[in-house]
Amino acid sequence: MLHLIKYRFICTLRDRTSMFWAMAFPLILATLFFFAFSNIGKNKLDTIPVALVQSTESEAGDAFGEFLKEMAEDDSKIIKVEELSEKKALDRLKTRKVYGIYYAQETPALTVASEGIEESVLQSLLDSYNRNADMMRSVAQEKPEGIGAAAEAIADYRNLVKETSINGKEVNGVLQYFLALIAMACLYGCFLGFTTSIELQANQSDLAIRRSITPTHRLKLVFVDLIVTFAVHFVNLMILLAYLKYVLKLDLGENMGGTVLVCAVGGLIGVAMGIFIGSCGNRKEGVKIGIMLAVSMVCSFLAGLMMAQMKNVVEQYCPILNRINPAALISDALYCMSIYDNPARYARDLITLIAMAAAFTVGAFLMMRRERYDSI
Amino acid sequence: MIKIENLVKRYGELLALDHLNLEVEEGEIFGLLGPNGSGKTTAISCLLALLKYDKGTVEVFGKTMAPDNYEAKKQIGVVLQNVAVFDEMSVRENIDYFCGLYVNEKEKRKSLVEEAIRFVGLEDYTKMRPKQLSGGLLRRLNIACGIAHQPKLIIMDEPTVAVDPQSRNKILEGIMELNQKGATIIYTSHYMEEVEQICSRIAILDHGRCIAQGTKEELKSMIKTGEKITIEGVLLEAENLAAIGELPHVFDTAYENQELTVRCSGAKHNLVRILNYLQDQDVAFGRVFSELPTLNDVFLEITGKELRD
Repeated sequence: MLHLIKYRFICTLRDRTSMFWAMAFPLILATLFFFAFSNIGKNKLDTIPVALVQSTESEAGDAFGEFLKEMAEDDSKIIKVEELSEKKALDRLKTRKVYGIYYAQETPALTVASEGIEESVLQSLLDSYNRNADMMRSVAQEKPEGIGAAAEAIADYRNLVKETSINGKEVNGVLQYFLALIAMACLYGCFLGFTTSIELQANQSDLAIRRSITPTHRLKLVFVDLIVTFAVHFVNLMILLAYLKYVLKLDLGENMGGTVLVCAVGGLIGVAMGIFIGSCGNRKEGVKIGIMLAVSMVCSFLAGLMMAQMKNVVEQYCPILNRINPAALISDALYCMSIYDNPARYARDLITLIAMAAAFTVGAFLMMRRERYDSI
Repeated sequence: MIKIENLVKRYGELLALDHLNLEVEEGEIFGLLGPNGSGKTTAISCLLALLKYDKGTVEVFGKTMAPDNYEAKKQIGVVLQNVAVFDEMSVRENIDYFCGLYVNEKEKRKSLVEEAIRFVGLEDYTKMRPKQLSGGLLRRLNIACGIAHQPKLIIMDEPTVAVDPQSRNKILEGIMELNQKGATIIYTSHYMEEVEQICSRIAILDHGRCIAQGTKEELKSMIKTGEKITIEGVLLEAENLAAIGELPHVFDTAYENQELTVRCSGAKHNLVRILNYLQDQDVAFGRVFSELPTLNDVFLEITGKELRD
């Protein structure tokens, strides 16, 4: 038995193609993701300098001027307002020392010199003010006694909407990509499983014929190959997790035991799926690899590997897919660990994954225990 | 040692083995000769209990051969037509791995592996991976993997396909040496020269049927051809050709591109009679060959086609 295990390890570890897909590729992709997403959420908008021209004496103009000054004093420090004459303001705008000029007049206005994020923010502020001013005017005309409440409501508006999560952890859209990547890595165990199946089925390769005609019990060969392949893939996944957690410093949650368990079950699904596809029918090896790649990539895509919102889209239009897609289940279970802190949902995902792994493994085992073939 | 009776194997509509009967005795080198697609490999696969078959029985060492007949499998070594080794392992690791599927004892296995390496002459290549070996060396590794556990019965399925002459001779010498050491060998090939050279008994297969079986002498005695005479650079008229055909013991003549081929039944002085006739008729001729019948002639006479077709 040790003899078989030793050489199976040697073969699996030296199989460069399978190891590339099962180990190196997810690491490379994780690194690319890391650099691609490293700036998302970090680019804070600087305070935008803006000129204020108090062009005429009017109540409305004064109110707008006050609004801008309040905005400038706000903690968010979106704008920095400087009251100037129109000539000076235009000079500053020309020399790009301010991004725009607000005119505090009966109908407040904005002048900008170009198009850009800063200019858009200034326009949004003006629009927002105009909307609220219209509303206040309507209230004053139709229900003057409610003017105070309306003013308070406007003042409190910004406090009403704030992104948060139930357990207080920060919702992280970027993390979802990495969780989908872990799911993909789990499924990529199919490459290792596929090689195993080719080397065990006498109707698939000469190597398998040679192994089949030896006195070593077939189930022993199948068992050793399955265990060793799974063990190698499990180590691959642990390397990926360690890389994400300790090198890329991603927050995978505190319950690493739960995360490892999900990876173990996911890895078993990947390996068993590869064996299953490798054992099915007599199609050429290249065709089977194509099928395997397509299945794992489509599952990963639907789990949000290329577009984080994909899983939500599937949930909205075809939720059953998220219940049977192993990649979606793996990433969801991992998300439960790191963000949701939802044990019930984690348990549901894990049970489904275990059932899938069991079904795939039994299927793969049944396919491989064949001893005589119709044709070779 | 091996008894195959009425073996029938169909691949859909195709009848691959048609009531095949074979018996192999202990200690012989038994040749399975036939053109590509004649059923040699299918017969071997059925013998090894890899293929399901439709009818018939296969007995090895006196017992029905089945996938779980591990006692029989322990004593069988197989050298497959295609090289079947792990690319990821070195020469020594490959031989050790396959030997380990038969022999559990580590020390015994170690000496068997060394012996196999010596036997096939791969001492200088033990650390190399299969992809670094030439075609001939790869074939030798393939053989070493099949025989390292020193089986009583060795089945070799076309082991010399695509091998250079030097490696081929080495392989054939090795097979005879294994046989001298006591191994019974089943050797399949479509190279009649090889089969003639090393096999003590031969079965000729065509379309899944055994069309003739026996020693090479027995097989050759089954046909009319006792001698084949070829004369190059000869200019013959139709009446000359007819006259040669009338000579004693001549039963077939062929004349093409100034080359005359005459088949005679086994008798003395056939060549002298033909040359005397040509001299009498003042017919000039070039080189002259006289050959004893080959297995190809046997195949040709029985099936009406060349073995190499």
